[in-house]
Amino acid sequence: MEKRNSKRREAPLTALKAGESGIVTYIRFGHIRGRRIRHRHMMHGHEREWGFEKRLMDMGLTPGTRVTVVKSAPFHGPFEILVRGSRLALGRGMAERIVVEIEQE
Amino acid sequence: MNKKKLLIALAGNANVGKSVIFNHLTGLHQHIGNWPGKTVERAEGTLHFRGYTIDIVDLPGIYSLSTYSLEELVSRKYIAVERPDVVINVVDASVLERNLFFTLQLMELETPMVIALNQMDMAKSKGIQINIKKLEHLLGIPVMPTVAVKGVGIAKLLEKAIETVEKTPAKKHPQVTYGEEIEEKIGKLMEKMKNVQLVYPPRYVAIKLLEGDEEIEREIQRINPQITSAAKKIAVEIENIHGHTCSTVITSERYEAAGCIARAAQKLVSPIKPTKVERLHNLTTHKVTGYLILVFSLLLIFYTIFTFGDYTSGLLSDVLYGLEPLFASAFGTGIVGALMWGGVMEGLIAGITIVLPYIIPFYLILYVLENSGYLSRIAFLMDYVMHKMGLHGKAFIPIMLGFGCNVPACLGCRIMETQRERLLAAFVTTLVPCAATTVIILGLVGNFLGIQWALALYLFNFLVIFVLGRLAFKVVPGEPTALIMEMHDYRWPHMKTILKQTWFRVAEFIKIAFPLIIVGSFALKLAEVSGLLEPIAAVLSPVTVAWLGLPAITGITLIFGVLRKELSLVMLAALLAPTGLAILTPVQMVVFTLVAMFYIPCIATIAALVKEFGWKKALFITVFEIVFAIVLGGVALRLLTLVA
Repeated sequence: MEKRNSKRREAPLTALKAGESGIVTYIRFGHIRGRRIRHRHMMHGHEREWGFEKRLMDMGLTPGTRVTVVKSAPFHGPFEILVRGSRLALGRGMAERIVVEIEQE
Repeated sequence: MNKKKLLIALAGNANVGKSVIFNHLTGLHQHIGNWPGKTVERAEGTLHFRGYTIDIVDLPGIYSLSTYSLEELVSRKYIAVERPDVVINVVDASVLERNLFFTLQLMELETPMVIALNQMDMAKSKGIQINIKKLEHLLGIPVMPTVAVKGVGIAKLLEKAIETVEKTPAKKHPQVTYGEEIEEKIGKLMEKMKNVQLVYPPRYVAIKLLEGDEEIEREIQRINPQITSAAKKIAVEIENIHGHTCSTVITSERYEAAGCIARAAQKLVSPIKPTKVERLHNLTTHKVTGYLILVFSLLLIFYTIFTFGDYTSGLLSDVLYGLEPLFASAFGTGIVGALMWGGVMEGLIAGITIVLPYIIPFYLILYVLENSGYLSRIAFLMDYVMHKMGLHGKAFIPIMLGFGCNVPACLGCRIMETQRERLLAAFVTTLVPCAATTVIILGLVGNFLGIQWALALYLFNFLVIFVLGRLAFKVVPGEPTALIMEMHDYRWPHMKTILKQTWFRVAEFIKIAFPLIIVGSFALKLAEVSGLLEPIAAVLSPVTVAWLGLPAITGITLIFGVLRKELSLVMLAALLAPTGLAILTPVQMVVFTLVAMFYIPCIATIAALVKEFGWKKALFITVFEIVFAIVLGGVALRLLTLVA
């Protein structure tokens, strides 16, 4: 990954405006908001949540991947993103859990 | 006669043209069923080529080989257990990186394989050039460029597949090499599994254990619990080093490998500028034009289907009912004749006049929408609304289908990822007013009380769908899943594939619905000729007369409505002769329509529910809807008389 001397900040994917991009840093889990969960065994009874993370990973949203927000559907609808050369529709709830690093000039 | 047999499996992401290739290969010799005990589709076909009899299995379109969905589990088990002679991995050349991620996983299953690099034309128009030789070299797998919709490269692909089989023993293709510390851990686990016999290759098992794969974990746990606990410990170690779950680390590295190969093998030749396809995408997903186009398309579709359906349905009825004298002369006009005509034939006619005019066009349009890519845009636009019911955008598709007929709608709920969501979506679709319900609404309320009342009932129906959907979402245990969906580029659908898909769907419908419609109609006719209808109406009168304020005769017609909803109205009109429906008071009309709208999914829909969810759930939904409709009708009666 290229290193630049610009300021970096972390924010959920939903904070990106249309046309902006960021680098995925990690996936946040819903019930323990904002806390970074490192281990699966810390998530008692949230096997399905693990399924979500796995799904996101399988669709290419792995840490270090560049994601570009194309737009979001109105009324708090899903996000349209570009990742690894393909176009994905991502529910807002899910997009909120993806934490990205935004490069600021 | 040469009796050499081959088994080839087609695997790949969704929407890469897999089914088009499947159709090219197998022509008409194909058969679509389910995987044993699973509601996952299984398409099989046979062809003869170069003295081989080749069985081809089209695996479901998936993005990964983990256990996220049934489709993924079924696919990987099939490859590991049935061991096809060769797997043809269909790869979308225009989205190489994502597709190669799946390819790498197939390679981990250590199966002989060939790649069909499909949609080369689309890649080209996107300015992507792929160096085939280089890709072959990097993957160590033969690669055949194809344009499936035009049939380009299919014969050569088959030749390559056979070549791969004939080259026995097939040379082992290289595998993804993960980071040093992960490779070391994989080695350690493989060491421990030396004496364990498994269907999956040991390296694959080791990787999957580190990824926390539930199915493999369970299997190894049974054989040797020490291995799983060791794997768990190692996974935690890796998590501590990397700060991400072990599964994330492995998936990351696998994607990195796929990305490296893709970048090395492809070249972007022209600067990326918005193409026609891109502009169409922007227009159809735009917050204003997108919705306008959506509303316009839906109206057009329904208008076309209903106009066409109404016309052909009437025509068919006339023709088929013209056969009645023929029957009368063959079976007489006695009890046998009545049973043959009114029982068997009328049931058959009921089925035919639904299938030909409504179901076929509906499926045709659905598949055009799906294969072109518009369906995913609809899901994108409707995600917000569906979310309110705890479902995501894809659920709009079965609901849309429900307006034509609830049967395909129930079967269409398979596009949802989890069993819970399939059930929720199916429940909601059984409440959608289908073509037959529309006949009742328009024929009774629309005709006698005016179109504004009919529209009001529709709106009320949507409200009910929304409220009950939300309620069901709260009641049924489990987490909602959110939308994650690829929106592939728009493309021209391949008509032959669509026709075949439609044909198989229609055949499925006939298989599910026809026997029940005919048996049901026979049973009712039997009840009628043996004079049981009057007593039944009398038994039901506390509900129909006292609670719902309807004529006692509606008890019978509503039972007939189970066969086919509009039958309840047609029969009512006949039984109320000579005055006909006009004898009903406006309030009675509204109450009757309300009850008919909700009281039961018709018998064919119940059959579809049973097929997808089992007896218990189907029965529950049916009973719930009957009770709900009766309660609703009674309440409406009292409220309406109060107002009137």
